Amino acid sequence: MNEFVERQMKLTWRPPKKSYDVVIVGAGGHGLATAYYLATRHRITNVAVFERGYIGGGNSGRNTTIIRANYGIPAAVRFYQRSVDLYRGLEQETDRWLMHQQKGILWMAHSEAAVRTERMRAKLNTEFGAQTQFIGPRQVQELCPQLDMSGGGRWPVLGASYHPQGATARHDRVVWALAEGAMERGAHVHQNTPVEGLILDGERVAGVRTAAGDVAAGAVVSAVGGHVSRIAAMAGLRLPIRTHRLQAFVTNHYRQQFGPIVASSELFFYASQTARGEMLLGAEIDPQPSFSYRSSHDFVQDVCRRALCLLPFMGNLRVLRQWTGVCDMSPDYSPIMGRTGVDGFYLTTGWGTWGFKAIPAGGEQMAELIATGEVPELIAPFGLDRFARDRTMADRGSAGTH
Amino acid sequence: MATFLVDGQRVETRAGDNLLVAMLRTGIHPTGGGCLCMGGDCPNCLVTVDGVAYTRSCQVPARDGMVVQRDHLGGEEPALLPDEPGSPLRGIALHAGEDAGAPSVQRDAASRASAKGPAPVQHVHCDTVVIGQGDSGREAAREAKEVGLNVVTLDARDGQHVTGVYPGPLVVASDQAGHVLHVHPRREIVVATGAAEIQPVVPGSDLEGLVTARGATELVAAGIDLGRAVAVGERPAGLPPDSLVAHFPVGEGGWELVRFEGDGRIEAVVLRRHGDADAAEERIECDTAVVSLGRSPRNALARMASDLPVRIVGGAAMEPELPACPPEGTVCPCSGVTVADLDGVWERGFHEMELLKRATLAGTGTCQGGVCLPYLRSFLLERGGRLQPAFTARPLNRQLTVRELAAGAHTAVTARSPLHDEHLSLGARMDRAGGWWRPWTYGRKDDEYRSARERVSLGDVSSLGKTAISGPDAEAFLERIVPTRVATIRPGRCRYVLMLDERGYLLDDGILCREVSAGAGSGELLDDGMLCREADKGTGDRFFLTSTSGGSGFFELWLRDWAEAFGCDVRILNQTASLAAINVTGPEAARLLARAGARELPAFGRHRRVHVAGVDCRALRLSFTGELSYELHHPAADARRLWRRLLAAGGGFNVQPHGLETLLRLRLDKGHIVIGQDTDYDSTPRRLAHEWAVNLDKGDFVGRQAVLRTNRQPLDKRLATLRVNDPPAPDAGGPSAEGAAIHDEQGYAGYVTSDAGTAAGGGTPMLGWLYLDPEGNLPREVTVDGRPARRVDGPTYDPEGERARIAVDTASESPENVRDFPAVQPAATDLAGEGPSGPPRLRRLEATRVSATPAALDALVAEPPWPAGALAFRTAPDELLVTATPDFEVAGDPHAIVERETAFSYVWLDEATAKRFLDRECEWRRPEARPALAQGEVAGIPAKLWFEAGRALILTPAPFAAAFQRRLAGSLGETGEATP
Amino acid sequence: MSLRIPCPICGDRSVHEFVHGEIRRVPDHVTDPDERDLDFAFHHDNEEGVVTERWFHAQGCRRWFEIRRDTTTDRIVEPSES
Repeated sequence: MNEFVERQMKLTWRPPKKSYDVVIVGAGGHGLATAYYLATRHRITNVAVFERGYIGGGNSGRNTTIIRANYGIPAAVRFYQRSVDLYRGLEQETDRWLMHQQKGILWMAHSEAAVRTERMRAKLNTEFGAQTQFIGPRQVQELCPQLDMSGGGRWPVLGASYHPQGATARHDRVVWALAEGAMERGAHVHQNTPVEGLILDGERVAGVRTAAGDVAAGAVVSAVGGHVSRIAAMAGLRLPIRTHRLQAFVTNHYRQQFGPIVASSELFFYASQTARGEMLLGAEIDPQPSFSYRSSHDFVQDVCRRALCLLPFMGNLRVLRQWTGVCDMSPDYSPIMGRTGVDGFYLTTGWGTWGFKAIPAGGEQMAELIATGEVPELIAPFGLDRFARDRTMADRGSAGTH
Repeated sequence: MATFLVDGQRVETRAGDNLLVAMLRTGIHPTGGGCLCMGGDCPNCLVTVDGVAYTRSCQVPARDGMVVQRDHLGGEEPALLPDEPGSPLRGIALHAGEDAGAPSVQRDAASRASAKGPAPVQHVHCDTVVIGQGDSGREAAREAKEVGLNVVTLDARDGQHVTGVYPGPLVVASDQAGHVLHVHPRREIVVATGAAEIQPVVPGSDLEGLVTARGATELVAAGIDLGRAVAVGERPAGLPPDSLVAHFPVGEGGWELVRFEGDGRIEAVVLRRHGDADAAEERIECDTAVVSLGRSPRNALARMASDLPVRIVGGAAMEPELPACPPEGTVCPCSGVTVADLDGVWERGFHEMELLKRATLAGTGTCQGGVCLPYLRSFLLERGGRLQPAFTARPLNRQLTVRELAAGAHTAVTARSPLHDEHLSLGARMDRAGGWWRPWTYGRKDDEYRSARERVSLGDVSSLGKTAISGPDAEAFLERIVPTRVATIRPGRCRYVLMLDERGYLLDDGILCREVSAGAGSGELLDDGMLCREADKGTGDRFFLTSTSGGSGFFELWLRDWAEAFGCDVRILNQTASLAAINVTGPEAARLLARAGARELPAFGRHRRVHVAGVDCRALRLSFTGELSYELHHPAADARRLWRRLLAAGGGFNVQPHGLETLLRLRLDKGHIVIGQDTDYDSTPRRLAHEWAVNLDKGDFVGRQAVLRTNRQPLDKRLATLRVNDPPAPDAGGPSAEGAAIHDEQGYAGYVTSDAGTAAGGGTPMLGWLYLDPEGNLPREVTVDGRPARRVDGPTYDPEGERARIAVDTASESPENVRDFPAVQPAATDLAGEGPSGPPRLRRLEATRVSATPAALDALVAEPPWPAGALAFRTAPDELLVTATPDFEVAGDPHAIVERETAFSYVWLDEATAKRFLDRECEWRRPEARPALAQGEVAGIPAKLWFEAGRALILTPAPFAAAFQRRLAGSLGETGEATP
Repeated sequence: MSLRIPCPICGDRSVHEFVHGEIRRVPDHVTDPDERDLDFAFHHDNEEGVVTERWFHAQGCRRWFEIRRDTTTDRIVEPSES
C-alpha cells in the first residue's frame, strides 16, 4: 500500500429521482462544491449532480493543483483569498486528508517591465488582503536553491513576487471529499449520465433531460468546464467563452525537496513538486480553440526547453506522463458566476486555467446565491452581464499561467 | 569488453551486453526484485545511469565509463572525475556519447556541460515509419519498400525508444547516438511493438530470481546460469529443455500459482492443482522461476494515436488476454498497489477504471500500466460485472529526459535593433521590452534625463512598428481603422492616432503620416514646403503608420485582417525591421540636426524627407518627451552611421543618449500613456481620457459601435494625472509607487500605473486609475501610500506644450563644419558565397521589397527590370523581395510600394552543410524542386530559404541575425545549441 | 511539432508559426445594433466540430488564409471534403 491509496472517503451512489430542488450539471470540483456548500451551509440536500463521465474527470482531474490569491484586480484578490482561506480549513472541516501543503509561490521577473508588474502585484495584493511581497534575487535563491539565477545566461532572475500562502492540494481528494460530504448529507451524484437537454417551461428552466430520463429541477446550475457552450445553447444562450487546451506533465520522482512553486511569466511555465515527489510543469493554453484532449509534443518540448533555463537540474529527470484538459476561457481572464437572464438557470464558468484554486469559494458563493436568491457581494463583479455593462474584469494577474 | 561502475564497484562485461545482463552476469541484481521481463515493459530493472534516474537497465547497452547506481531514484553524482587520483573510474575509457571511446577528460567535462542544454534533434522525413522490427515489423517495412515507399524503421533493440506518437504526425524516439529523432511520416505509422508478457501477481512476486520466458531465453543465450530453473505457465519455447528442472502448466487441467517463497531471493515456487482451493500445495525449490502467464499487447502507442493514420500489426494487435484476478499480491509494482488496496477502494465506491487508478495510483508509474492494466481490468470485471476500457494511453510511452524532450526547441528570440552593439559599447544595460532588447539605461539616468530636458538627447526607437500603406482605398481603409479623421490629415502632416479593437478597447497607438497626394509632380513644392518624392509620383494616397514596439508583432496581421474584411484595395508593407528610428529630442535638437547636415526640418505636426549625415531619413516632428523632437526613420543599414554622426556632432551639445527608463520618465512629465503600462484590457478612450482622439461623427471605424455602446454606460474609472509633492516613505517598498493604492476620504479610490520619480520642475507626476464617486465625480485630493496627492487636469510639465511646438528657424541654423554627405547609393547586391575557409557567417543583404498587385508582380517578374544575376523571391502573391537596388518601377500598379530593404541577413550554405543544419533545425519538409523558395521557422527564427542546385541561401530578419548566427554555429558544431 | 496548418503559399507548417483568427458570425435573430455589437465583440460559437477559421502565417508569408478544422480532433478538413 502506498500513502495515496484512498482509505478515508466513501462514495455512496444512489439511483436518480424524478425531481430535485437543484440539479447541477457537471461533477467536477465546482459542481460538487456547490452541492457540498448547499448541503453544509444551507441544508439544501435534495440536490443531484449529473456527470457525463466520472467525478472529477474533467479539469478537476487534469490541473496542476495550485492554490493562490495573488491576482491582479481587487475583486479577484478578494475572491481568491476567500478560496485560499476555505482551502486552509477544508481538511479540518471535512476531516479528510487532502494533502494540502502551503509552499509559497515565486513569480519571477527577468526584465524591468516584469519587475514592475511583480512589484505592482505585491502592492495590490497587500491592499486587498493577500500576502505578497516583492523580493530580491538573494531571497529568491534562498527560497529555491535549485534555481539558476542567471537563467541560463539569458533569463536572469531580477527578483520575484513571493506569495507565501501559495499552496497545493491533491486534486482528486478535494473532489472526493466534496462529493462525499454532499453525498453523506443526502445529495445525489450520478456518473455516466450526460445531460442531453434542458426542460424549458416558458422562459424558465424547469429541469434536465438526461440519459437516464427527464428530471425536474427548481434550479439548474451549469458547472460544466470546456463544454459549457453546449449546455448554454440548450438555454438559448451564447457565451463569451472559447475553449482551449491546457497541457501539463510530470517527471519521475525527484529525490531532493523542491520547496516553493515557481513561475515565470516571461518564460511561460511554472513548476512545483507533487506530494509524490514528481516535478509538475505547466504553461499557457494552446492559442487556438480546441476540444481535443490529445497532448502534443511541442508543448512538452517547449516547456522542457524553457524549464532548463531556470531549473537545469531537471535535465536529467525523465518525463513520466503528459495530459490535457480543455478550458473554458473568458475574454477577460476572470470567471463568470451567477444568474444568466434565463430564469432558473445559473452558470459557473470561465474557469479557464484557474478553476482548481477557486473550487471552495466558487462553490460556497454559488450555493449562497441559489439558497438565498441574492447575489453575494464577493461574486457580484463576476456576473455574465458585466460585458453588456462594460464592466469587464480584466485580470492580467491570471493570464498566462494557471 | 566494457568497464563501468555499479555502486562504486568496477564491473567488466562482454561487449554487446545490455546493462541488466552485464549486472546479472556479475551477480549484481537490481534492487526491489520482481519478475524481469527484459523487454522494457516492467519497472523491475530500474537503475540510475550517469545521474539519470528511472533508467531501464535492460534497454541500455553497457558502455565504458558508465556510472550506475542501483538506487533507481537517483543520487549524488560521483564526486571524482576519472582522471583524479582515487577515482574508481581511473583508467576506464570514458563514456563519450556518439564518439564512444574517445578517451579524454575534456570530452567528459564537455558532455557534462552540454547535459545542461537540450539534446540535439534529428528530423527525418519519410512516407512510413515502422515501430518495432520483430517479424511483423520487418514484414511491414518490406511491403512498404516494395511499393516504393520511403520507410524508416525504429527498434528498441537498436536503442530507438519511441516515446510518443503525436499529431503531425510525429514520432519521437531516442537514438543510441544521443540524438532525439523526430520522424515525420507522410503516410502511415505502423505499430509493430509486439506483446509484453503478463507479470505474475501473487505473494512473493517481488522476489529476486523471477524472470519471464522471454527474459530467461535472453539470459540463457547470454550465457548466464539460471541455476535450478522452474517454469510456470507455458513452456518457454526459446529455452533449451535441459535448462529447466521442472515445468508446471497453469490453467484448466494444470496448476495454479499460489506464491513464490524466499527471503529476498526466490527459494521455491508454491503451486496447487487448478480449480481446487482445497488441494494440497506443492513446494518446488528452485533458483529461478521462469514465468509465462500469457501476453498483453503493447498497444499504448497505437491507443494514443487512434485518430492518426496508424496501422497496428503482429502481437501489438492481439486482443488482450485477461488473467484471472488473484486473491492477493502486488498488482502495480511501480506504485506498490496490492489486490487488497483495490478491494479497499472498491468498497469505498471507486468503481470506474479512472477512479480506481486515481484512488490507488495503480498504473501511474514508470510502466504506465504495463504490468497492472490486465489485472485492473479483470478486477473490475469480476467485482462489477462490466468490462471497462483500458485507461487513456498518454505519452510518454518511454520516458525520455527533460533534456532529450527539449531537443529541437529554442526559447523565444528577442529582437535586436541595428544599434544594439552601439548601446553595448556605450555601456548600456539592455532590457527585454515588447519583444526587443532596449537600452534601459546607460548608467547615468539623471544626465540622460537632463540631457533631453536641457540640451539634446538621442533615443533608439527602432523597435516601433512601421507600416507603409498605399492603394486606391488607402484613405478609406485607414478611416475605418483609426478613430481619427484621416481625410483631414494633409500631405506632409502626421497625427497621433489610437487603434481600438472591436470591443472599443485600446489596442495600440501610433503616428499616422500622409505622404504626398496623387497628382503631385516630381520635384513639385507642396504647400508646406514638402518636396514630392520621385517614387511617390502618381501613387495616390500613401501613408506611413507607426505602432508601439510591443504592438509591432501583431500590427501587420491586424491591418491585413481588416483590409480583407473591408475588401479594401490596399498595399501593405511591414517596415518595422526595415527602418531604424532615432528620436532626437531636446531644445537643441534642431541645431544638432542642422550641424549634421539637415537642411529642411519639418514644422510641428509634420514630416518630411531629410538627409541627415547623408542618410535618407523621414523626419517626424511630434513629441513624446515634451521637448522639441524629431523622429528620424531611416534604412536599418544606415543606423550606425547616423547614430555615431549625431553623437559626434560636437558643438558643445554633449549629446547623451537616453534609455527606456528615462523615456518613461520624460513622457510621464507630459502625462503621455504607455500602452500596456497605463492601459488595460478594458481601456476605452473615455476611461483613458482620450475622447479627443476619437471622432464619432466620421464614418464607421473599428470599435465605433462599441464606443457608442459603452459610452451609454455610466463611467466607473478614469486614468488621471496626479501630482505628489512628498517623497516616498522609507517603508513604501521601493522608490516607485507603481501599483500603490490611491485612497480618498471614502477609502480605496484606485491605483497608480506610472511613477518615475521627481520631474524637472519639482514634484512627482503619476498616472493612475481613479474610481468615480457615487455622484460620478473623480476625487481631487487623494493619498498615495499615505502621501498627499492632487489630481491635476493637464500635464505637470509645460502644460501649454510650448517646448514641443517651439518654432524653429532652420534658416538661421546654418550648418558649420558639416561635410555634405552623399546620399547612400546602394551598389548592386553582391550575393557572394563564403570563401572556402571559416564558418558560415551571415551578412546584411541590400535588396528591394515590393508590394503590388499579383498581376503587376507577375508582369514584373516576367520581364525583370533588375540586372541579370539578381534573385527575385516571390514571398507572397503580392510581395516580392529582389536582391537589387530599388531603381525600378512597377508598371502594372501605380500604387505599388517599392522600398529599399536592408533588414535581411543572408548566408549561403553548400548542399551538405545545408542538409546537416536543416536536418537539425528545420522540422518541416523542404521542397524537392530546384530552384525553390521556402519560408518558415528554422532554428526557431523566421527564415526564407532559397534552394539552388548544390547550395542554399538562407535569409533571416536582421533583428534575429545574431541569434540565428549563434544557432547556426551551435548546430553545425556537435553540442546542440551553442552557449549564449 | 504537433498540429500542422496547411498554408496555401508555404505548405504545411507547425501551428507555432501561425496566429489563429476566428470568423465571427452574429446570429440573424440578434437585431438590436448594440446587441449585435456586443455579440460580435464577446460571444463565440465555440463549436465542437468542423469550423471555418482564419490563420495568419506569421513566420512565413505573413498572409491570412482560411481552412476548416475539426475542433474535437484538430484534424484539418480538406477543401474537397464536404
